[in-house]
Amino acid sequence: MITLTDFLLVGALLFCTGMYMIVSKRNSIQVLIGIELMLNAAILNLVAFGKYDKLNNGGQVFALFAIVLAAATTAVALAIVLNVYRRYKTIDPDEIKNLRD
Amino acid sequence: MGTALLHTDPTIISYTIAAVALPLFAALINFCLPVKSKAAGWISTLTILVGCVLSAMVFAAVWNRQPLHTQTLWFTIGNTKVFAGILLNNLSAMMLLLVSLIALPVHIYSTAYMKHDDRYSRYFTYLSFFCFSMLGLVVVDSLVLFYAFWELVGFSSYLLIGFWFTRDKAVQANKKAFIMNRIGDIGLLSAIIILFAQFHTFDIATLFINDNLVFKSAIHDGLWISASGQIPAVWQYVACIGVFMAVAVKSAQFPLHTWLPDAMEGPTSVSALIHAATMVAAGVFLLGRVYPLFTDSELTVLAVIGCFTAFMAATIALTQNDLKRVLAYSTISQLGYMILAMGVGAYGSSLFHLATHAFFKCLLFLVAGVVIHEMQHIREENDLDIDPQNIQYMGGLRKKLPLTFIVAIVGSLALIGIPLTSGYLSKDGILIQAFEWSEGRSAWLKLIPAGALFTSWLTAFYVSRLIVKVFFGEFRLLKHHPDIKLHISDGGWQYRVPLILLAVCSLFPLFSLNPFFYEKAWLFESLKPAEFMARENIYHTIIPIGVNILSVFVMYAAYAIYVKRNTFSFPQTGFFYRLSYNQWYLDKIYKKVIVKPILGLGKTCFWFDRNIIDGLIHSIERLSRKVADLTAWCDKYIVDGFLHLMAALVQSIGNFARKFQNGKVQYYLYSMLLIVLVLFILKILI
Amino acid sequence: MNLLTLLIFIPVLFALVIVLLPSSVRGSFKYITLLATLLQLGISIAIYLNFKTGAATAGINHEDQFQFVQKLPWIALNLGSMGKMQIDYFVGIDGISVTLLVMSALVMVVATLASWEIKSNLKGFFLLFLLLDMAVMGVFCALDFFLFYLFYELMLLPLYFLIGMWGGVRREYAAIKFFLYTLFGSVFMLLVMVGLYLSVNDPATGSHTFNIIQMMNPANYAQGSVFSVAAHQTILGMPARTVGFVVLFIAFAIKVPVVPLHTWLPDAHVEAPTPVSIILAGVLLKIGGYGIIRICLGIFPEIASSGAFWLGLIGVVSILYGACNALAQRDLKRMIAYSSVSHMGFVLLGIASQTAEGVSGAVMQMISHGFLSSMLFFLVGVVYNRVHDRDIYHFRGLGTQMPQYTAFVMVAFFASLGLPGFSAFVAEAFTLAGTFKSPTVNGLLPYWMAVCGSVGILLGAAYFLWTLQRMFFGKVSLKGGEVWKIALTDVSIREKLALIPLAAAALALGLMPSLVFGKINDSVLALIQFLQAK
Repeated sequence: MITLTDFLLVGALLFCTGMYMIVSKRNSIQVLIGIELMLNAAILNLVAFGKYDKLNNGGQVFALFAIVLAAATTAVALAIVLNVYRRYKTIDPDEIKNLRD
Repeated sequence: MGTALLHTDPTIISYTIAAVALPLFAALINFCLPVKSKAAGWISTLTILVGCVLSAMVFAAVWNRQPLHTQTLWFTIGNTKVFAGILLNNLSAMMLLLVSLIALPVHIYSTAYMKHDDRYSRYFTYLSFFCFSMLGLVVVDSLVLFYAFWELVGFSSYLLIGFWFTRDKAVQANKKAFIMNRIGDIGLLSAIIILFAQFHTFDIATLFINDNLVFKSAIHDGLWISASGQIPAVWQYVACIGVFMAVAVKSAQFPLHTWLPDAMEGPTSVSALIHAATMVAAGVFLLGRVYPLFTDSELTVLAVIGCFTAFMAATIALTQNDLKRVLAYSTISQLGYMILAMGVGAYGSSLFHLATHAFFKCLLFLVAGVVIHEMQHIREENDLDIDPQNIQYMGGLRKKLPLTFIVAIVGSLALIGIPLTSGYLSKDGILIQAFEWSEGRSAWLKLIPAGALFTSWLTAFYVSRLIVKVFFGEFRLLKHHPDIKLHISDGGWQYRVPLILLAVCSLFPLFSLNPFFYEKAWLFESLKPAEFMARENIYHTIIPIGVNILSVFVMYAAYAIYVKRNTFSFPQTGFFYRLSYNQWYLDKIYKKVIVKPILGLGKTCFWFDRNIIDGLIHSIERLSRKVADLTAWCDKYIVDGFLHLMAALVQSIGNFARKFQNGKVQYYLYSMLLIVLVLFILKILI
Repeated sequence: MNLLTLLIFIPVLFALVIVLLPSSVRGSFKYITLLATLLQLGISIAIYLNFKTGAATAGINHEDQFQFVQKLPWIALNLGSMGKMQIDYFVGIDGISVTLLVMSALVMVVATLASWEIKSNLKGFFLLFLLLDMAVMGVFCALDFFLFYLFYELMLLPLYFLIGMWGGVRREYAAIKFFLYTLFGSVFMLLVMVGLYLSVNDPATGSHTFNIIQMMNPANYAQGSVFSVAAHQTILGMPARTVGFVVLFIAFAIKVPVVPLHTWLPDAHVEAPTPVSIILAGVLLKIGGYGIIRICLGIFPEIASSGAFWLGLIGVVSILYGACNALAQRDLKRMIAYSSVSHMGFVLLGIASQTAEGVSGAVMQMISHGFLSSMLFFLVGVVYNRVHDRDIYHFRGLGTQMPQYTAFVMVAFFASLGLPGFSAFVAEAFTLAGTFKSPTVNGLLPYWMAVCGSVGILLGAAYFLWTLQRMFFGKVSLKGGEVWKIALTDVSIREKLALIPLAAAALALGLMPSLVFGKINDSVLALIQFLQAK
């Protein structure tokens, strides 16, 4: 029997993987993927907790909403990455230090 | 020296002024003439001739009459009025005439003697200037003016001694003369100032003649009291010492006589006028002017010093080989007689001797001038390397220079004091009065007349030695240089006339019709003090006879030694010989004891200035620089250091903080994560 | 137009002309300066001739007895409760200053003639020269202490630059030494001046005043004020008036200069160019003596009397010490500088005696030394310009080489060593006479001081005659050989024009001392009376 705890464990694993990718990857796309992973971990949690709202299926609804939003943000982020590449000829976030003082 | 009222006579006054001022006028003209102009000699001679005539008229008008005194306000300083004026009494009238009379032959003589000199007109400029100063000295009535002329006399003597200023010896001699004269000058100046402080006047007539303030003042209980005030008695002694210093320097008395022999570096005619007859007599003249200042005991000191000087100079003259030096020492010796006479109260005799001495000593110097001139002539003609003044080279000149020889004999006899000459009259007076004075005094003071007596025999000896060596025997130069040519003669009339004139004046008739008794001399009668002792005691007979008989023997002895036994002379290694030959070592002693220490003092002062005073200044400067360095260090490292520390602190914090903002997005996220984690952990732990 | 004001400010007018002229006409600057100084000399002679003598115009402590007075309100500030600050432009002269003015004007002319040797930066030189000229004249005329101080300080600056820029090898050292020495004195003088200002009330207006003449009257001092005669205030445990006197005396003594405050003088003289040496010796030193008479004696008469012994002692020490030092010199200029110390000692001695003879002698000595030291320094300049050497041992027999020059040197030397007929003799003789009279008249100085002073005259003869013998007599022998022989030409007409007036002035004063004594006598008597009354 698959329990709630198992879902949460998978979610946490996903979240940690995403977090690791965000801070360590030298490629913006991979960072993006990391973000997606973290979003998916959140969605997984939403769905898993949805069992406490069987009447309205609020969990599933929010999950769908989040998936759509994630698709949108990914599209925007990819566009930014493309623009960054055009300007700096790299997508390594370490190389882009314009935010420095 | 009467207390009679003074009178003024405008004619005589103007004659006097003219006689004094004419030489100054001549000096000014000559100064403007080109240096070789021959007119200078005649201008000077003419003015002195006119001056001579005027002086004679003044003399005739003043002699044995009331003193003549006139004055005009010179300037006022504070409440003191300083007058300039003329005071003519027997003393100054005699000196006025004497100086002019001596100056005239010397001027005539000089026109020939200096004929070939490159700076002929300068010579006469100086000579005339000297005559002006000397004549001024004898007639002025104010001590300030007296001092002024006193120093001008010294100054013109300085110029004339150093006339040949390219000769090192001459310029050293004139420096010495002036500086030594300065010693006397400050003595005189001190004396004048003391008299001024005591009596509030510079007027000689008021001080010494008609009011005779000095004579009326007295010393009581350590105070010198006069009508106008009182000062400690010691200043009366200081005034006397000051006057004595002045006298001792000008009249070359021990211990301040050493400049006079050196002064012989000047032209011989100058030596004749200045350093034999006139200037050196100024000291005696000064004594005559301020005679009342001296008390009995001070006069005794004068007598002792005069006697000692006379003796010492005579001993030195015995061995000198320089013709002029012998004469210079004989001058010192004779001046010693005059001072001695002043000291024993023989005021008249002293001045009488001054007058007679002036003539015969001037004559002897002019003779020396002729001899030296001729020797110089020989030297140049034959190109020899000899000292023309050294008597060792001379001898037998009586045949070559007959006139010179005759007048030299006259002069020498007068100097020795043989009867029929003027020197006999005056010198006997001094000796006799010295013996009279010593009666009733202590045995030591009896040495004074005895010393004077002995000195007169010494005089006879060295004068004879000189005359014999120069005029008798054979011409010694010929022995060394047998083939030299001799073209020498007595010279032209400019030489002959002065010599004859002075020789005549050196005989008795000018002064007394009686050749044997000095009391009958008119000059002496007018100058003698009131309390003069009549011719009553034994000295008046014994002394002249004794002196002269022995003198004749001494003269013969000298003649015998130096002519007949030409090879014989005194052992030249004995102590006394060396003492005499080296002039009692006084010059060397002075150099060691006075000159060197003073120069050393100067050097020490300068060292003190450089190292102590300036050193102090510099160490203050260094100290303040050190203090400044210290404050600068404090400023740099403590005050500024604190500020810099704060700044560095802030900066390092900033630098630390800015490290976080490195522009890397991931880094930001990472740190965010870390912080959240830390907070989370902290939250759990606490 | 007031003659004194004109006299003081003429140099400034001409300085303005020089400022405006372009540097291309720099050759004319010396003529412009000469014109200024000649005009000044003319005015000073006019003042001298129009100067009235008599007891009614004696001056000293009576404001109405001063002549050629000009008094204009200058700085008047209302300080509220502190009263009114009142500084006047107040100039005027009495007998003490009038002869010094004429002397200074003549010395300035000579100094200008000596400036022909200056070749670099002419504009700056003559500007500073004229500024100095103004300040010097101002000091002698000022009767307001503030004005006096202003002129006094104004002299320093040009001199510092004149020595420091146109001087010899060690000029910076000499200039800074001179500057610091003098500044040291005058800074403290400033304090005393302010103290006096705060102590003295002008009886007419009631406010504080800088008026020197008001300061001489004890009645004008406010009750209990620091320098009040009656109050007996103390500063650091010493009587306030004594401190005031000593401070002012030190300030002026540095200028005179007296031993041991004299060591700036030889260095300054040795390094300064000839015209500056002339002004320094001829005029500047006199300001010290003048200041002591006018200010130290005038404002603190009772201290001057009680301290007279020390003043006299310093004077005697200066005379002897300066002379001894002069004996040891081989640099001609340094020797003359030390002889100045010696001669100026007589001034102090005369002033200390507080007798009419002594003070007159002191004033005479200042005038006489003004002429003679100018002449001496000019003469040194003559030989230094030709061969740039003045070591006594490097010359011999100049008498043959430069006969006229030697004649001038002999005149200057003999006049300086006090040969009668020249002014120094009268000055020194009467200074000593006054000194010797002092014990009997006012009991201030002991008798022996006069005797010691006269020894200075003897030493004076020694060093001057030694120099004459060593340098000018004997056979020609020069260190520089033939080159020097060619370079050492006799004095030129310009040099004669400068030397003859000085020699003539010294001679004239020696023969007719009344030229000076006649003008100063009433003032000196008034001063003596004032000092005795105290």
